[in-house]
Amino acid sequence: MDLARRLFLGQAAKVTAGAAFVPFASVAEASINTQPPRRGGDPGKRYAMLIDLRRCIGCQACTVSCHIENEAPLGKFRTIVSQTEVESMETGEMAQFMLPRLCNHCDNPPCVPVCPVNATWQREDGIVVVDSDRCVGCAYCVQACPYDARFINDRTQTADKCTFCAHRLEVGLLPACVESCVGGARIIGDLNDPDSQIAQMVAEHRDDLMVLQPDKNTRPHVFYLGMDERFVTRPSAAPGLWDVRNGEGQELGYEYGEH
Amino acid sequence: MYATAKVKNWGMNMENIELIAPRYGIAWYPWAVQYFFLIALSYASLWLAMPGTIMGRERWKPTARLALLGAVSTAIVAPVTLLADLHQPLRFWHFYAYPNNASWMSLGSLFLPLYVVLVLALAWLVWREPLRERADQSGLQGLIARLAPLGSWATPRWLVVAVGLAAVALSLAVMVYTGAEVAILKARPLWHTEYLPAMFLLTGVIGAAGLAIVVNRFSGMRHPVAGDQMLTVILISLVLAGLVAGGWLAQGLAINEGSVSAALDTVRDNPDWRRFAYWGMIAGIVLFLGAGMSEVLGSWRGTRWVLGLLALHVAWMFRWTVLMEVQTVARNSAGFQQYVVDIGSQGILGIVGSFGLWLAVILIINLFVPWRAAFGGHDQTATTSAIQGEPSYG
Repeated sequence: MDLARRLFLGQAAKVTAGAAFVPFASVAEASINTQPPRRGGDPGKRYAMLIDLRRCIGCQACTVSCHIENEAPLGKFRTIVSQTEVESMETGEMAQFMLPRLCNHCDNPPCVPVCPVNATWQREDGIVVVDSDRCVGCAYCVQACPYDARFINDRTQTADKCTFCAHRLEVGLLPACVESCVGGARIIGDLNDPDSQIAQMVAEHRDDLMVLQPDKNTRPHVFYLGMDERFVTRPSAAPGLWDVRNGEGQELGYEYGEH
Repeated sequence: MYATAKVKNWGMNMENIELIAPRYGIAWYPWAVQYFFLIALSYASLWLAMPGTIMGRERWKPTARLALLGAVSTAIVAPVTLLADLHQPLRFWHFYAYPNNASWMSLGSLFLPLYVVLVLALAWLVWREPLRERADQSGLQGLIARLAPLGSWATPRWLVVAVGLAAVALSLAVMVYTGAEVAILKARPLWHTEYLPAMFLLTGVIGAAGLAIVVNRFSGMRHPVAGDQMLTVILISLVLAGLVAGGWLAQGLAINEGSVSAALDTVRDNPDWRRFAYWGMIAGIVLFLGAGMSEVLGSWRGTRWVLGLLALHVAWMFRWTVLMEVQTVARNSAGFQQYVVDIGSQGILGIVGSFGLWLAVILIINLFVPWRAAFGGHDQTATTSAIQGEPSYG
């Protein structure tokens, strides 16, 4: 928690996007949009993930294994590795930047207080979960997450998201994405346990860690090591994947278009 | 300084290409547009009916007749469209079994049914007197006219005022919650501004006044005073909406506010958004000039209903742009999310269907309730001659 706050304060100064000026919303948040109490989970733990981007090769093994483990519908992902071709700041040469994305299990999750039926909540161990039996599928939480970490599952017609594979953690297994990561880039563990690998890496790399969109004050608990700060907010890039153009450069439509 | 230099360097070259990113679809469907449109028409129509209903102002009674029909019909259909936007509509009872007082939507789930009940109660109180006068008619109309008033007691004036005031109080709660629900979302900078609820409110009033004008024309009531009053309401609301939009832009440019910079980026980067921006401005200006000219030139009055439709269009398009198009603004990936309006119930069919339901509700009320005779007006038997013989006031 202390770390998230420190990262936020440190990065807020770096990020050029100015803090939002929203008196009305601030007032509303003070009274209504506050975090409900956490429930369930081990109160002694605080799960978090550290992603060592120096070890990520963009193989998408995490994407695939998560998809199989959690049975997400086609085209929807609990985790995915964004890949962008960028110009290296050091050499000026083109290089690929990989950015694994997943739920940040924020300490101040904006998706939780908006839920009209308390179907999503944060456990005492920091994991944000959804009760798909209670969820009404209003998708308010999908709108509220700045990381696009939530989606409506077409099969269950309810909100779906990464749970750090809580069902696997409970029986002593690693999350599917961590288990399958060929480079060992994803490290999950308990921040409150000073002997855990994540706690030790956080201590070692404290000044080099970054989180996504710190200006939103969500206090994410997925920490990136070896991060390019141009990707902390929405990266400036041309879309190369979905555009399909004919010989004259006219847009034909989008690949995998559903309609 | 180092960071700033790097960011500048970034802005200089645009060769960076996104290679892999998922498509993030939209999560709120056109049903949401229909709900925000209808509920705003409802609360704003209720307010337009108030001078004639609560204060008993004679000059506002024709408007009150028209606006009450608008408020009731939209209050009935709006919750249906809201329910349809849920992916699990049959679980709506979870709102009441597991309320969350931290959530604006949860608060709204309490305000909305109370509001609808109060509007229906108000309309019943207002319409039961004209209904009773039809009690001697035969058939279903007569039966309803005998049963619906629940007795022959005279409607006490204080009860109309009390229920009217309660409905207005709930309408304010509905207005606040629908605006705040969207405006608190930090995740979408274009929504996250305190100016958005004000624009929902003002475009809602513009739409409600437009609706009253259209109903005035097509119900055959063709009351010239009501038409002029509604044009004045549209003119004032347009000026206020222009001031709010101007204030949003000016303040945003002055302090680099998130929603304004996001809007400018979007309009710069996307031709569709430029079209929306131009269209919104042109529609507003045409409506303003048209309403102004029509007030000055009495001979234009016959075409007021065109302006009424344009006012409804402005109110609807504002919601379509805000709720649907903003969802195509990517939060984490390059470019814009593709959105094609679905043919089925999540798209065109839903839009057409909810408007069809609304029309059906209006027609059913029109068939069984002599709403024109409320507040001392004339029943519809007078309307045929109005269309055929009397001069048209639009």
